[in-house]
Order: sequence, then structure tokens, then C-alpha cells
Amino acid sequence: MMGEPDYCFAADLGGTKLAAAIADEHGRIVAELTEPTDPRGAPFVAEQIVGCADKLAQSAGIDVTRARHVMVGIPGAIDPRTGRVSLTPNIAGLEDFDILGFLRGRFGPDVAIENDVNLAMLGEHALGCASRCRNAAFLSLGTGAGLGLLIDNKLFRGASGSAGEIADLPIGRDPTSQIPSAGSTFELEVGSLAIVDRYRRQGGTAAATVRDIFRLLEQGDDVAASVLDTTARSVALAVVTLQSLLDLELIVFGGSIGVRPELYERVRNALPALFSRPITIAPSQLGDRAGLIGAAWAAGRALRQNLEPA
Amino acid sequence: MSSPMPSPPITSVTRQLSRRSVFEALLHRSPISRADLAKVTSLSKQTMSEVIDAFEQQGLVRSVGRTSGNVGRTAVLYELSPEGGHVLGIDLGARRLTVALADIAGRVLAEADEATDSRGGAWTLDQIARLSDRLARDNHTHPSRIRSIVMATPGVVNPKSGAIEMAPNITGLDHLNVVGLLGEKLGSPVVLENDINLALLGEIWHGCAQNVDNVAFLALGSGVGLGLYINGRLARGENGAAGEIGYLPIGGDPLQAESRLQGCLEYQVGATGVVRRYREAGGSDVDSERQVFEQAQAGDAIAASVVDETARLTALAAAAVIATVDPQLLVLGGSVGARPDFADKVASVLLQLSARPVEIRTSTLGRRAGVVGALSVALRRLHDEFFGVAEFASALPLPPPAQRSARQ
Repeated sequence: MMGEPDYCFAADLGGTKLAAAIADEHGRIVAELTEPTDPRGAPFVAEQIVGCADKLAQSAGIDVTRARHVMVGIPGAIDPRTGRVSLTPNIAGLEDFDILGFLRGRFGPDVAIENDVNLAMLGEHALGCASRCRNAAFLSLGTGAGLGLLIDNKLFRGASGSAGEIADLPIGRDPTSQIPSAGSTFELEVGSLAIVDRYRRQGGTAAATVRDIFRLLEQGDDVAASVLDTTARSVALAVVTLQSLLDLELIVFGGSIGVRPELYERVRNALPALFSRPITIAPSQLGDRAGLIGAAWAAGRALRQNLEPA
Repeated sequence: MSSPMPSPPITSVTRQLSRRSVFEALLHRSPISRADLAKVTSLSKQTMSEVIDAFEQQGLVRSVGRTSGNVGRTAVLYELSPEGGHVLGIDLGARRLTVALADIAGRVLAEADEATDSRGGAWTLDQIARLSDRLARDNHTHPSRIRSIVMATPGVVNPKSGAIEMAPNITGLDHLNVVGLLGEKLGSPVVLENDINLALLGEIWHGCAQNVDNVAFLALGSGVGLGLYINGRLARGENGAAGEIGYLPIGGDPLQAESRLQGCLEYQVGATGVVRRYREAGGSDVDSERQVFEQAQAGDAIAASVVDETARLTALAAAAVIATVDPQLLVLGGSVGARPDFADKVASVLLQLSARPVEIRTSTLGRRAGVVGALSVALRRLHDEFFGVAEFASALPLPPPAQRSARQ
């Protein structure tokens, strides 16, 4: 039966921005947009996602009901059995909101949600720098730290959907010390707040954001260089941890901080002294679109599987 | 919808599949009658009779009596014959050598173990052959009936030279073609596999990790190692080096020469590390980590703090594993790891470390885990040799823990 072509809708939800795209049945993006994430929390963000689909369909001249499959990237862990979302500090109320149920109510049954870093891993595997890999990781460093894992050519989510939730890797301050802390060990070491805090503690005054620190580095600021050296060393220890555990072919660096050459070059230089075998790291080829491209690709794959005769 | 399909011609693949499904049913449901076999496999009675007759001629099945019960017809019951083929599992440890013999149905027939010949090299290989031969002879099994042999070994097997490398606790095997020489001595090809991976497979087949798809097995003894079972398969990594947990940057300065060579974590928590830390802290003269644990139990405060620190570092390593791979079950094994007092300490440190509760169990097979895992792989290989179908790549499921056979 010939008819109108089928499309899919993909979105990548972040704490500060929401990216969305309409893609064809091969997962190739035909129209995309980015908006600031609605700060009022989960129900509004969910409406915003639906709104993006309408806007994109209109701009591409497509009836929105032709978007047969929907994939939304979520910044948190998703329990594969219940669809419940957890570990999402950046979007208020998301843990108690049935986003999957809401989206299915609006788009129909063929909606899936997936961890955003997992989708970035899929994006790099399908169309980016990990296309020849069977065992790889996508290490996202920005506000927080996350990991997407490709094991034996398949996305690996873990028993409860929280594989790669490395915010509490025991790297940084001693996590068994009795002094209480307000968060997760590794994230407190390399998250953006930690980096800015480190800059201030070392006597720097001119930086309010990590972006400021990168700018100061360019201007020859010694404190900025030292802060990035320390940060890179902790990231290198996480890389050594991943490599010891999983023996990966490639670790892709992404996220707003992870893609910066000032950071990953420092990590790369620190590795040989820490590990006797070679470790390959590379910056994300798809950059901040990795998650969206991965979502579109995954939605396209699901769409084609649905179309196959049973 | 349309008229019924004519039954397809018996091709060789469908015959292979029939044989395979009958074998699988015998593996899991013996003793069983022809009628029940036909029911379970959905094969016609005629096909079933052909397959069973062929199996009987091959010595793969034997009859074990008849159904009892109602007046009238009774049926012959079949089971896999122990004569169908045997497999040998070997666990070459730094301290102990264990061998075990099983039949094609996975019934463990006999096991033996002795202290590993400390001279290493060719002496160790001779010892393996001698112990294996004795075990077979004592069970009246002619060596030619042993169809599949798998050996667990520490370190990494060099696929080109057949040597065992990176196994500092066993001497003289890093320049020998262990795979080739052992195959000659035992008269059958030998497959070598990492001991931790096999211990994990042992726990999955017969031990504390049955029916779990995502398992991390953390072994602490002479050294420290990790086996990962991910979505129902061993994760080996890109170069077979997944689970080299001794190199985790935990417990010391990863830039130190010892950390780079021996691994940062292993330098602290391996047996020599435990003894070294105890001596450095002013402990009495001991020469094994077991003595440090005994001293701790006897009230030696220095030993107790060394044990506590070892548990703390092990818990940190476990936390890294949990954060990264999110296992459903964490199994603690190895001569130190499986000690209940030690495992309790690790679990209590983990409670403060990780918000994610993970079930922790100690190895139930203990020292036998490696050899049981070796048997499981040897069995799968034997089944695959007999019933592998190229078009149907997945392995036959192994039978559940067989009651240890009372039969000779």
C-alpha cells in the first residue's frame, strides 16, 4: 500500500535546553529546533515537547500524525521494567511525573524514552566517531557526569537502567570519610559547580561559570590552568576505571565540558602515566547534537521494525 | 487463512534441529517416554522414533525402566546415557589444582584436587595430566571418551604462543605452549579460559547466581579480579581484558611504579599487599594473608585494622563496578572474598557508599567455582559439537544443578 511517507519525532531533553527534530524513516533529520527548557518543571516540559512536534511538523509541511514513532532522551536513569525515571535533579518533578504515559496519551503507543547519554552513544555509534566500535563509551561531562555504554555492539542499560550513572564513582574525596557531603563523589569532583568552586578556592575571582574559566585560560590565567589540570586528572582516573572494568575500544568525550580540547587533551596527556596499556579517547563528532541524532536514529530503527511484515 | 501448508521435506537442517530438540528435552526432562518426548518437541511419532533409534545406536540414550501406574500399556522411559561422552574441567590455581569429570548430561561424576606443584612449568603440566588420568581411571572412563576439556587459569592466554602470561603466581608457564603441550598430554584439545570468568559461570550454573542475567563476580584471594555477566553473556572487552580490576586507581597513588606494574588496587588488597601492610603496621611475623585474618579474629588490633582497610578498599572497588555496570547481583568470591566475616564488612561499607541497593551474596561453590565453570563450558562445547546447527547459533541451555550422581 503506497501512501504518504512515514516520519518520526525525536527530542533530547536537557536541564537548560530542549532539542527536537522530525526525521524520516531512516532517522535522518529533516527539521530541528532548540528551545530553553521550561523552568516550571515536568508537566510544562512535557507540554513543551508536544508543542515542539507541532511546530516542527508545521514548518516541514507535514501532518504531525505522520510522526509514527517518538523517542525522547531524558537526563536520568529509566527503569526498564517500570519506565520510572530517577536521578533527574535538573528537571523539577520529573521523578514523580509519568512522562512516558503522558507522551503516549498525546502521540499514541509508539513512544519510547531513553537515557540521554545512551542516545548520544547510539548517535556516535550510528553516525559518528564510534561507527566501527563494538565496545565503547560516551562520557558526558557538563553540569553532571554520565556515561552511555556500548557492549558487544548493543546499548547496555544495566539491571535497573542505571548502568553508567557514574556521578558516584569513588573518585575525588574519600567517600568513606565520616564528613557528610551534599552529593555524589565524582560529580562533586568534576561537575561544573565543582570546577568553578575549585577556581574560587584557589584564589581566582573572575569566573562565574566554567565557560569563564575556559576564556581566562586562553588569556593565560594560571589559576584556570591549574584548575583544569586537577579536573583532568580526576577525569583521567575515571577513564582508567572504565578501561580496567570494561576494556573498551574507544571512550567518546561529550557534554559542554567534555568536548573542550582544553580538557580532553589534558586527560589524554595524563593517561599514559596512569595505565600501562593504551586507552583511546576522542571528542564527540556530533557534539551537542549527539543525543538528538541518536534519538532520531533510534526512532527510525523502531519505525522500520514496526513496518516490517510480521 | 489459506489451506494448510504441506509438510516440508526433511532436509538435513530440519533433521539436525529435530535431533537437537530431542537432545534438549532429554537433557532437561529425563527420564521421559517417547510419547512425552514427541509432545514436548512437537515432532511426529515417526521422526521421534528415528531420532531415538539413532541415539540408541550412538550410545547417547539408554532405557531406564517403564512408566508404572494404570493397568494396561506402559511406556519405556529414556535418559541420556553416561556413556554418551564425558567432559573434563580443570582449575589451575596458584595454590591448588582441581580436576572434575562429568557426563554429557552434566552429572558431576568425580572430583580431585591437590596442592599445585610449586616448581611450575613442565612439572605443573605433568601434574595436571597425572591427576586427570587418575580421575578418569578411578571412574573407569577411558581417556578416549573424554570429548571436551576446559581449564581455568589465572592471567591471560596468548592466542599465538599458547602461553599463559600475566600470571605472576604460577611460574614457568609464560614461555611454554601450554595449550599445545597439555592437549598432547591429555590426548584431546584443551580450551583455556580466565579463572575468574569460569568461577562466575560456575556460580551461574550451580551456585548462587542461577537465573540472574546481570552479575558481577568480585574475587579476592591471591589477587583481585572481576567477572562480568552482562545480559546473559560474559563480557570480555575488546581485547579480553575486561574485569582487570586490580588496576583500578583505588587505595594508593596510581602514579607509583608498583601501581603501574601490579595494579594500584591489587598492590593493596592482593595477598602480598595484605601481608605487607600488616608487617608495615608493626604486626607479627606472618607469611600468608590467611594468618592475618586469623590474627584479627584472635583479637590482634593491628590485624583487625588491616582487614578493615582491605574491606574498605574492596567496597570502593565494588562501588565503582555498581556505578558503572549496575548489576542485579554482586557475588563475592575467592579465598578472602567469600569469608562471611569479610563479606559482611564489605557490605556495610557499601551501604554508606551507594544509594543503589544491590544484592550481595558470597560464593556458594567456594574453591569449586572455577572447576564447575570449566565443566559448564566443556559441556556447552560438547553439546555444540554434537548438536550445533550452523543456522541456529545460540547454545543449548545447560541442565540445572544435577543432583551429584550416586552412580559410578
